[in-house]
Amino acid sequence: MPEPSTTPMVSVQNVSKRFGRTLALDGVSLEIDKGETYAILGPNGSGKTTLIHILCTIHGADSGTARIGGYDVRTHSRQARQRLGVVFQEPSVDTRLTVYENLDFHGRIYGVPRRLRRQRIEELLELVELADWRDHLVRALSKGMQRRLEIGRALVHDAELLVLDEPTVGLDAQSRSRMWQHLAELKRLRNLTVLVTTHYIEEVESTDRVCVVDRGKVLTVGTPRELKERHGRSKVRLTTRDASVLRVLSSAEGVLEVRDSNDAPPWTDGDAPKEYVAHIEDGHVAERLLAELGSRLVTFSVEQPTLEDVFLDLTGRGLRDSASGTRDRLAATPRSGGEPIR
Amino acid sequence: MNVLGAIQAIWLREVMRSVRDRGQLIGGVSRPILWVLILGIGLNPYFRGEIYGEVQFIVPYTYLQFIFPAVITLNMLYTAVQSAVSVIWDREFGFLREILVSPAPRWAVLLGKVLGGATVALFHGLLVLSLAYFVNVPLNVERVLSGLAFMALFAFGVTSFGIVIANRLKTFESFGVFSNAVILPLYFTSASIFPIDPALTRAQTRVVFPEWLVTLVEWNPITYAVDALRGVFINFHQFDPRMGPLVMLGMAVVFFIIALMDFRKA
Repeated sequence: MPEPSTTPMVSVQNVSKRFGRTLALDGVSLEIDKGETYAILGPNGSGKTTLIHILCTIHGADSGTARIGGYDVRTHSRQARQRLGVVFQEPSVDTRLTVYENLDFHGRIYGVPRRLRRQRIEELLELVELADWRDHLVRALSKGMQRRLEIGRALVHDAELLVLDEPTVGLDAQSRSRMWQHLAELKRLRNLTVLVTTHYIEEVESTDRVCVVDRGKVLTVGTPRELKERHGRSKVRLTTRDASVLRVLSSAEGVLEVRDSNDAPPWTDGDAPKEYVAHIEDGHVAERLLAELGSRLVTFSVEQPTLEDVFLDLTGRGLRDSASGTRDRLAATPRSGGEPIR
Repeated sequence: MNVLGAIQAIWLREVMRSVRDRGQLIGGVSRPILWVLILGIGLNPYFRGEIYGEVQFIVPYTYLQFIFPAVITLNMLYTAVQSAVSVIWDREFGFLREILVSPAPRWAVLLGKVLGGATVALFHGLLVLSLAYFVNVPLNVERVLSGLAFMALFAFGVTSFGIVIANRLKTFESFGVFSNAVILPLYFTSASIFPIDPALTRAQTRVVFPEWLVTLVEWNPITYAVDALRGVFINFHQFDPRMGPLVMLGMAVVFFIIALMDFRKA
């Protein structure tokens, strides 16, 4: 049975799941180490939630195995669930109970002894800043507060793995950053492993490892930095005094592609100052370019690759494009004057 | 894993939710008053087994006394079935997931829910029982205790029945329609508001009442719950006294098992 130090917190082996005709997960494998913050990044409908549901034993996998702390979620579901704290995408608090009662219910149903339960609830209420609201009905709380309550709730028992499925969807920017602060604080206090799914790129920048999924498949896994180095492209944005720079730029070593500021092919027309964007191999190319062209430039800036670029490189489309559903696109149609949006 | 703690947690939640639900309490109080005061007192003079001067049968009780145990079952039936709405509620508002990912076994979750609903139903039964003095039903410790035992068993059975139904319904609206469409017919065909005279033979009964009605009454399990409570409170049986406890026990077991099978699939 599980060896505490060597077994990974989560181990998913070749898991597939089919809903009707759609293959939601197609042979997904991943491993999450103890104490790691692990993000699953992918557009809506990429299979993130299905994977979470399989880990939480809400759905069974068609094939493959999933283990939490070494316990198979199918054959030892009780032990696996005991180690798991979950915050689902949709709210799952009882709005007719008070904040305290929601936490207390959770503690009872996970068999946390009374004294420990009381002590821990008070701690968590402080931590997620809901102490003033403990005897209010949850109905009276804002969405952000309910989310915080759910995060606190997931930790009333001795959860080793905290799973958050799109925890920041529907929250305003302020609540979102607050939530991440709370998570960081919790991680510091307890030796937690955190698994988070999201389609907000800026949120995964601070995680230990990122797993990019699309259409039920794992595309790549690595630290945000590794991914950017592997798949991202740095860009140099520069404004020139005259058009002759373009020739140098296009033929310089390490420059992959040059576009104008509107992402169209560049063209030289007279001597007017012009802005170009050059995709380059790495940072060194930027230094060389600056040394070479310095005197002929008005502005020069280097843009680091983002995970958005990584996703674009891996799938050939932007995360946001695919993230916005048909409805968003329909809603945007009137704004674009009836022109269909790609 | 502390299974008892989990059952207690779920039980406590059900009870707490219904304590906070004013509407349920108002219904629980107004229903018996309506039935006992208006219907009971209003029909009391006509209940002498005498129709247009012709004596059909003699029941040695007033209509109020006769209808009193039935109103207890009616009040419990409503409350128990309505408490199953929490099943739909949990499913619609996501709380079900919180329960499903917990390490508590499914049977414990269901047992907690049924016990919670049954407790509330029992309380609403007691509300009616507290009117006993006004309808001339004398109570003693023995009657109250055996009455409570039957009521508890009945509450467990009908709460399980409500959950079986709730598992098959998709929305709150359909549950509202459903509960009226099922509870009232069940109640009316349970020999609750009119007696089927035990002194008559089977053949004679079918002469006095239309055959389909007698059949309905005999097949309706609520009939036997009402009969058992009548036995306890006014010492009057229309059917074999052993039938009441047996049918109630059967209801409790069968509906709980069906609910559990549904729940395991969820």
